[in-house]
Amino acid sequence: MKTRTWIIILSSVVIVCAILWMSILNSLSPSKIVGIYQDGNLVEKIDLNSVTYQREITLTGEFGKNTIYISNEHIEMKSAECPDKLCVKHGELKSGGTPIVCLPNRIVIQFEDDSKEADAKTGAVR
Amino acid sequence: MKTRNLILTAIITALALVAFTIEAAIPPLTPIYGIKLGIANVFTLFTLYALGIKEAAAVLFLRILLGSIFTGQIVSFIYSLAGGILSFVLMVLLKKFFTLKQVWVLSVLSAVMHNIGQLLAAIFMTSSVQLVYYLPVLVISGIIAGAFTGLCAQLVLLRLKKWSENKL
Repeated sequence: MKTRTWIIILSSVVIVCAILWMSILNSLSPSKIVGIYQDGNLVEKIDLNSVTYQREITLTGEFGKNTIYISNEHIEMKSAECPDKLCVKHGELKSGGTPIVCLPNRIVIQFEDDSKEADAKTGAVR
Repeated sequence: MKTRNLILTAIITALALVAFTIEAAIPPLTPIYGIKLGIANVFTLFTLYALGIKEAAAVLFLRILLGSIFTGQIVSFIYSLAGGILSFVLMVLLKKFFTLKQVWVLSVLSAVMHNIGQLLAAIFMTSSVQLVYYLPVLVISGIIAGAFTGLCAQLVLLRLKKWSENKL
């Protein structure tokens, strides 16, 4: 194939992906229910709307501890002992954002679609 | 493998390792895993054209193994390997369709494949399918990074045409 054909193909892929990314960012469900997973297992499910007091969850993995900070409205990875700390740099999640990921300790914080009843005080979903 | 090729492979592997280690010391631009330039890919590409498939495989896999040890990020080993294998297979399969002036296209395709491989490994490791949301960003970053590293390799190859045609 000619180089020009490739340039056209590749730039259209870039445009399609950019549009896709924008629509993903926009279409993420406005859910306030967040699930914390380690190694694919659910650690805790929290409804951010009904969190009444701030608290921290500490998860320990192969590469040290991760501290998750939860308050009314938002959740964030406060600190991590892993080498890259990308999860901390991700910042806070309020609703419908892309998941916070810690690959070293295999922790994922993501929004869930289902809306089950949550514990009024801790926001824990049963 | 001829002694000459063996030595060249060793030197290129060492160079790739240096590039990889320096790049690993640069703080990431974004909080998204997998977005980086991948300078070490220049060396793999160059070896693939200048020396051959076996040598390029040696450069790639030794660099991934030693690079993970040197930078102390054993975690990244699995992801690098998943991306590395996929992108290398793609490069070897598609190499014949590209002329020396289109090395950068091959590099783009393999970089995108590399990112897809890493994403699949991450989805597998965390069992979180939601990570697929990152695919568009990773494809874009793969295209940009691949074009850059591919152009680097291509310019070197064109200047060392004798090598790239295996005449040495």
